[in-house]
Amino acid sequence: MGATVDVIKEAFPYLLQGLYMTIVISVVSIIISLVIGLIACFMRMSKYAILRYPAAIYVNLIRGTPILIQILFIYFGAPSVLDIQLSAFTAGLIAISLNIGAYNTEIFRGGIESISKGQMEAGRSLGFTYAQTMGYIVLPQAVRRMIPSFVNQLTHAIKDTSMLSVIGIAELTMVGQSIYAMNFKSFEILSMVAIMYFVTIYTVSLISTRLERRFVIS
Amino acid sequence: MIEVKNLTKSYGEINVLKEISTTIAPQEVVCIIGSSGSGKSTFLRCLNLLEEPTGGEIIVEDKNITDKNTNINKLRQQMGMVFQQFNLFPQKTVMENITLAPVKLKKKTKKQAKVMALELLKKVGLSDKADAYPANLSGGQQQRVAIARALAMEPHVMLFDEPTSALDPEMVGEVLRVMKQLAKEGMTMVIVTHEMGFAREVADRVIYIDGGRIIEEGKPQDLFSNPSHERTKAFLSKIL
Ligand SMILES: Nc1ncnc2c1ncn2[C@@H]1O[C@H](COP(=O)(O)OP(=O)(O)OP(=O)(O)O)[C@@H](O)[C@H]1O
Ligand SMILES: [Mg+2]
Repeated sequence: MGATVDVIKEAFPYLLQGLYMTIVISVVSIIISLVIGLIACFMRMSKYAILRYPAAIYVNLIRGTPILIQILFIYFGAPSVLDIQLSAFTAGLIAISLNIGAYNTEIFRGGIESISKGQMEAGRSLGFTYAQTMGYIVLPQAVRRMIPSFVNQLTHAIKDTSMLSVIGIAELTMVGQSIYAMNFKSFEILSMVAIMYFVTIYTVSLISTRLERRFVIS
Repeated sequence: MIEVKNLTKSYGEINVLKEISTTIAPQEVVCIIGSSGSGKSTFLRCLNLLEEPTGGEIIVEDKNITDKNTNINKLRQQMGMVFQQFNLFPQKTVMENITLAPVKLKKKTKKQAKVMALELLKKVGLSDKADAYPANLSGGQQQRVAIARALAMEPHVMLFDEPTSALDPEMVGEVLRVMKQLAKEGMTMVIVTHEMGFAREVADRVIYIDGGRIIEEGKPQDLFSNPSHERTKAFLSKIL
């Protein structure tokens, strides 16, 4: 028993650092993915095929392939052809952002389409441009409805970052793996890792429920 | 004020408007009547280009608005529109609904816009509702706010698409009263309506549309009491 406590005590600071990395990557990529999602969403809704098709291909490609392949592709595959070098951190950030971005594209689109056409018409009839009506009238309403979905995306991002262990990023899963590779306490360490994920994700979903109550129902 | 020449509109194979021509004079109040699906809304929405005409010309205050080079956003600032479903902005208060466009598009200060909004609210009888949200207003109140919102842009023409059709009967009167007042003040108005009593009393001219064509137009007393076309007679006998 005392030995187990020691294992936990010793591993905890390192795991905490791993968790910190997990959260940093998740939060940063969520922010980037929101920008990607918004842009890709307007491309998808554009009347110009030249904008619509690339966005549709992007969304379907991401949704139709495993995230592990996407990560490997961006870290190993793309740089080898493009003759560039990406750090694991950068590649990981790009992969998660692109992945979540594709799902956000559809969340944005659904949210905007859920706002009645009358809102756009009312804005246009007052003399607002399409972009102004979107910005002042439609998007603010749509985003309120989308907030819970975006928080939910954050929980996906947190789980997805564990895949980044394959390219050697020192996030929570990777740190756990390297600790039990040395001390062979895989049960204890993996339990700790699982609990830390759970607590983090559970906290986020609690926040999500709160926001849902505040934004969707009101 | 508005001159419509051979206006046509089709959706693919379906011709919804067929060669409509008419002129709306300054300060004139024109009511458009006709059965469901006859093209009344489409006609009205062509006037401020919410629908893009397929053919013909629309000239508003000497500008050909069907010309590709006209700035439709500037044009729409001069043409207020009121919808059947009100279409107020639900996340904004009544005051914000009314002041948004003047502040953003006419570069009025917030203060100027507010002063004006309060005047308009007084005019539509809702002085006490400035801080309310649309969801907390009755349909009739919402529609009166929608009228105030359109008026805040100081339009030269007001377009109404069945402004009372979504209202409970007891609220129709309050909205029609506001519209009557507007007409009295000399606003140019084009109104799609099923309220024949209102048309008879307020309109300078009534246009009967059927199958995408103007079948008959004239002074309300003539058209209602003495329609010259069979189709107009049939329509009027159904609804009067
Ligand atoms: N976007 C569209 N695509 C195809 N057909 C349309 C479209 N909008 C309207 N129509 C058709 O055009 C015709 C005229 O429609 P419109 O809405 O102008 O009629 P209306 O006279 O306003 O009828 P109501 O009294 O029911 O409002 C209808 O037959 C309708 O089905
Ligand atoms: Mg209609």
